[in-house]
Amino acid sequence: MIKNIQMFSYNMAARVLQQCVRSLGRPSLRLCPVNLALRAAVAPAVTVHRPFSFAADSRRTRWLGQSRISSVGLLCRQYGDLPPLTLETIKDRVLYVLKLYDKINPEKLQVTSHFMKDLGLDSLDQVEIIMAMEDEFGFEIPDAEAEKLMTPEEIVQYIADKKDVYE
Amino acid sequence: MASAYLTHQQKVMRLYKKSLRHLESWCVFRDKYRFYACILRARFDENKNEKDMVKATMMLKAGEEEFWTNQHPQPYIFPDSPGGTSYERYECYKVPEWVLDHWHPSEKAMYPDYFSKREQWKKLRMQSWDREVAQLEAETPTGGPKTEALPPARKEGDLPPLWWQFVTRPRERPT
Repeated sequence: MIKNIQMFSYNMAARVLQQCVRSLGRPSLRLCPVNLALRAAVAPAVTVHRPFSFAADSRRTRWLGQSRISSVGLLCRQYGDLPPLTLETIKDRVLYVLKLYDKINPEKLQVTSHFMKDLGLDSLDQVEIIMAMEDEFGFEIPDAEAEKLMTPEEIVQYIADKKDVYE
Repeated sequence: MASAYLTHQQKVMRLYKKSLRHLESWCVFRDKYRFYACILRARFDENKNEKDMVKATMMLKAGEEEFWTNQHPQPYIFPDSPGGTSYERYECYKVPEWVLDHWHPSEKAMYPDYFSKREQWKKLRMQSWDREVAQLEAETPTGGPKTEALPPARKEGDLPPLWWQFVTRPRERPT
């Protein structure tokens, strides 16, 4: 589990950390049977996660805190699911991923900035951006619709449409 | 889509995307994938200003053949996309909305606000249906429609044609 953190994308890491938070909150005996050595191995493994996550990315802590609050506030259980999306979080994540892209100037990036006209990107750059969005949100955007998404605003609307956010 | 044929640019974009996805399946480690992805992007970029379409098409064909020989046997497919693990998994739980009309009145009495609002929506649908059909009949070319895309609402205060099936479509993940 620790090795896999480095390999998998951020999405998987957030899910793993969320499950670690859940397992910390509810110490369940069924996870570690009679074997006390296993329990001792689990506890330091979880504590190793936390410094890694806090040191690496402050956004992960914000995401973690947000998921903790929302899991307490919601009446329905999520089991293995991610915390529910809102338009705000989708917009924040889309802009965050776009700011990470090195061909985009983060100061010039707005929600309504067109990739080709305002930011001067190529069609292959747009393909890479859509692929980054697919990796971020975990679902595929078909080619026919992907080539039409030219601003972050349109991407947010498309994702909200697919994921039924504020239907 | 404008027509049934793809433009050269669209074909190149699709080849780029699927080759990047298969490259990602081959190179498990992220830094190695990033390195080879940059090399692939450089290969696409050095030929991108080709003006001769015959030569460009031959290069695209060579690229497609190279993709075919180098593709991954089990590429990473997203869970919700066709071939993925959760594709159409919740399809059986997506109940159409007309089932709500068949509820027993005692069950409907449990949600009076919702059903009264639903009656208003259905009345709105009845009223706008004739205008929608008229718009569709006016805008469809003779010989049948060419694409599946529906036109937007043209007049003020009019609803887009066949809006009911989109507004009442089931959720992606029915709980």
